[in-house]
Amino acid sequence: MSRMAANVMKWGAIAVALVVVFWVDTQLASQGHLLAVVLVSMVGLAVLAIYGTRRAVPLKYLFPGLVLLVGLQIWPQVYTAMTAFTNYGDGHSISKQEAIDSIVANSVTEVPGSPRYKLSVAVKSGSDPATGDAFYLLTDPQGKTFVGDAKGLTDLTAGVEKAPTGKITAAEGYTILSAVQVNDRKDLDTFAVPSQDGSAIKRVGLSEAFEGKATMTYDKATDTLTDSATGKKYVAKDARFVPADGQGDALPQGWKENVGFKNFKTAFTDPVIRAGFVKILIWNVAFAAVSVVSTFALGMLLALLLNDPRLRGKAVYRSLLILPYAIPGFVTALVWRSMFNQDYGLINQLTHLNVDWLGDPWAARAAILLANLWLGFPYMFIVCTGALQSIPDDVKEAARIDGANPLRMLRSITMPLLLVAVGPLLIASFAFNFNNFTLIFLLTEGGPFEAANTSIGSTDLLITYAFRLAFSGVSPNYGFAAAVSVLIFIIVALISAQGFRRTKALEEIN
Amino acid sequence: MHKRAFGAVAVTGVAALLMSGCGGSSTPAAGKTSSTTATATTPAASPTTTGAPVRDANAELVIWADNDRAPILQKYADQFGQENKVKVVVQVATDVRQQFKDATKVGKGPDVIVGAHDWLGELVQNATVAPINLSADVSSKFAPSAIAATKFNGQTYGVPYAVENIGLVRNTALAPEAPKTMEDLVSKGQALVKAGKATNILIQEVGKTGNAYYTYPYLKAFDGGIFATKANGDYDATKVIVNSAGSLKGAAELQKLGALKALSTNVSGDNADALFDAGKAPFYITGPWAIDKAKKAGIKYAISPLPSIGGGQMQPFLGVQMFYVSAKAKNAALAEEFVTNYVPRKDVQEALFAAGNRPPALTEAYNEVSASNPDVKAWFEAGKGGQAMPNIPAMNSVWGPLGQAAADVIAGKAQPKARFDAAQKEIVANIAKG
Repeated sequence: MSRMAANVMKWGAIAVALVVVFWVDTQLASQGHLLAVVLVSMVGLAVLAIYGTRRAVPLKYLFPGLVLLVGLQIWPQVYTAMTAFTNYGDGHSISKQEAIDSIVANSVTEVPGSPRYKLSVAVKSGSDPATGDAFYLLTDPQGKTFVGDAKGLTDLTAGVEKAPTGKITAAEGYTILSAVQVNDRKDLDTFAVPSQDGSAIKRVGLSEAFEGKATMTYDKATDTLTDSATGKKYVAKDARFVPADGQGDALPQGWKENVGFKNFKTAFTDPVIRAGFVKILIWNVAFAAVSVVSTFALGMLLALLLNDPRLRGKAVYRSLLILPYAIPGFVTALVWRSMFNQDYGLINQLTHLNVDWLGDPWAARAAILLANLWLGFPYMFIVCTGALQSIPDDVKEAARIDGANPLRMLRSITMPLLLVAVGPLLIASFAFNFNNFTLIFLLTEGGPFEAANTSIGSTDLLITYAFRLAFSGVSPNYGFAAAVSVLIFIIVALISAQGFRRTKALEEIN
Repeated sequence: MHKRAFGAVAVTGVAALLMSGCGGSSTPAAGKTSSTTATATTPAASPTTTGAPVRDANAELVIWADNDRAPILQKYADQFGQENKVKVVVQVATDVRQQFKDATKVGKGPDVIVGAHDWLGELVQNATVAPINLSADVSSKFAPSAIAATKFNGQTYGVPYAVENIGLVRNTALAPEAPKTMEDLVSKGQALVKAGKATNILIQEVGKTGNAYYTYPYLKAFDGGIFATKANGDYDATKVIVNSAGSLKGAAELQKLGALKALSTNVSGDNADALFDAGKAPFYITGPWAIDKAKKAGIKYAISPLPSIGGGQMQPFLGVQMFYVSAKAKNAALAEEFVTNYVPRKDVQEALFAAGNRPPALTEAYNEVSASNPDVKAWFEAGKGGQAMPNIPAMNSVWGPLGQAAADVIAGKAQPKARFDAAQKEIVANIAKG
């Protein structure tokens, strides 16, 4: 019976999973992401194959983790790496065809001196409002009425009724569409009544029409745009249209394209970026290392002190020490920023110093390390407290009997055992601090900045630098920022791999 | 695991904070997320909603606006909906500029957005906004400077509803008379500081990274500035004038004011409001966004135009708030109808005025509001003759370098000529890269 129940539950769970997969698929399919549909379906098949059969027992345990790993970790990284080979960014975010369409559409201007019409959209009486051929019923400023279709404009007088604004409300032989019906007819977005010299009467909103003309024309054969108003020709170059004669501005709409290794080349060869990159990298490693060492030292010291069996009220002290950890990091960072203010901050007022904490490069670095010490030590304190309590008392007792003094015990017994437990956490902490975007961004924004180069600050980490490249400052460039992210990934991976190898060495003490 | 969780919390936190305009820092200057370019047209965005809104699938017309304007708009949106028998939804977006760009890219954007005019170049670059063909009748009802701001490369892309600019706010308890010149302002301020009645001569946002928006009036006073203008009045991205003779004179004034401690890099968006609202500073160069707080703090204030400096009149940038129609609007007809026929209405403009105390762009609405509200008139006077902030994408290359140059000169770290030459070089190089 219980076996039966288990079976029912199993197949129920599988069915639920498949329903979810199916739902995701329909959503993706409705938006046209066909590759994603295939991938998600394959996940569904895998669920069926793994959990529906008795084979592949280890996979039954590994599969959920694997799916999450691929979906949440590997895919974003692959996507970032792919972006790194494009010029994706502001002004280069659409396809070339979209750019051309946009340039041509945006060049439509009102023909000077042309009348402004009041508009009603209609279909012939009896035809379907959603699909029937559209007609524009127009009233010019003098009150003359016209009907326009895809061929042109003709006079309209039969049975015309007008609202006080001049808008036609009824005409013989036509059914006037309501606002919703006009809005629902997407064909009207491109519909226009041709007028003289290539200009056309177009709709503005629901009740107005104007005579407009596109000044830009695209010639597919030569891949050029021509501005009929100025006679200027534009040719495609570096993913945007630039004047053929080299005089004047490029057109604003550029397009996304693959640029190969250009972003990586820029990162390594641009003298400003190269010098900055090395400077940032050095500070980044130093920041992460000093942060880990200082927070660990303080956390461990406090943990050792509060681990003494003779101390009373431990719970109170411990809760107090965890407080800085309980306050959201960004709040703390902002509070520290105001405390570091040279004129109005608490720190200078209490110490009677006049240090320009956030304006001097070295003072800013010190400020950041101080703030990070405050933010980070409770974590180390918790971790060390836990690890200390797991060190068996008999080992310590044996050492005491052998005549070891407290310092010796710390050095030879406690520290090695502690490090085995917290070693991987130190590496994790290093990796976290290596990318500690929040703190830097809220405390100094990467500054202070040197003259002549406001893209590279004295306290910038690689991640804040990449953020600035991608989202602010000079025209956002996701492609280049992605390339920098890939480089950061490689650096962190190398350092972490080395670190984990070292902790293996530590384990041999056991 | 703990660290992970902390990271997630922290990142969400930053996101929330960034989206709420960096904790209410109040620079209306263009920009995305760094505070050198922080936008504060959204000073009170809720930090609890971090993500972009999800487009309401049942609505025929979707409008995205910030937290301040959305509730007011909803009333008129409903009215529009009733007239046309459609469902109109106004959704709150915490960072309209970025969220609109991102959502539009994947086809989930709104039909209409409410935003600042200086986003325009960037939105056109990414083909996210559509031109609006406003009739000459309607556009003549607006202040000409506001209409000018909605144009990019000669094409109109929106309908304006408010104009904002900075001016000189003074604490009338300390300074009953408005100073006509900066020299007068400084001597009055110094006297007050000497007498122990004030701690600061002048409050103005500078910060460690500087602020190009507040720097500009000093350069403009001597016919300097950021970009030269083309014959048709557009800004010319190829002619940067940050180190022109006029700009350098302005920079020299910044240096002087820095040495006198009238300007300081220790005053930033973090503490500028608090310093003025403590009643210990006679003068505050700021915009309408700072007024509500000052009122709450019980400060008696008056608003006047920026003073002249070294014989030249300081002039602020104008920022224009406007309605855009998305280039990918699912309901283009309704969106255009709303923007061209509803936004230019007097009652709509007056209602939106209540959301931000910025003078309405529609002349008729401005006249009515200013008759009963002296602040509005004062802000308008302070902005008279000002030029609209550049809406060309090249402006993105300016905020950082120019702001930092001003900060360094104010802090006495660098000489005006050398520092502004360096800034000019960096800006030109950045524009060339863009």
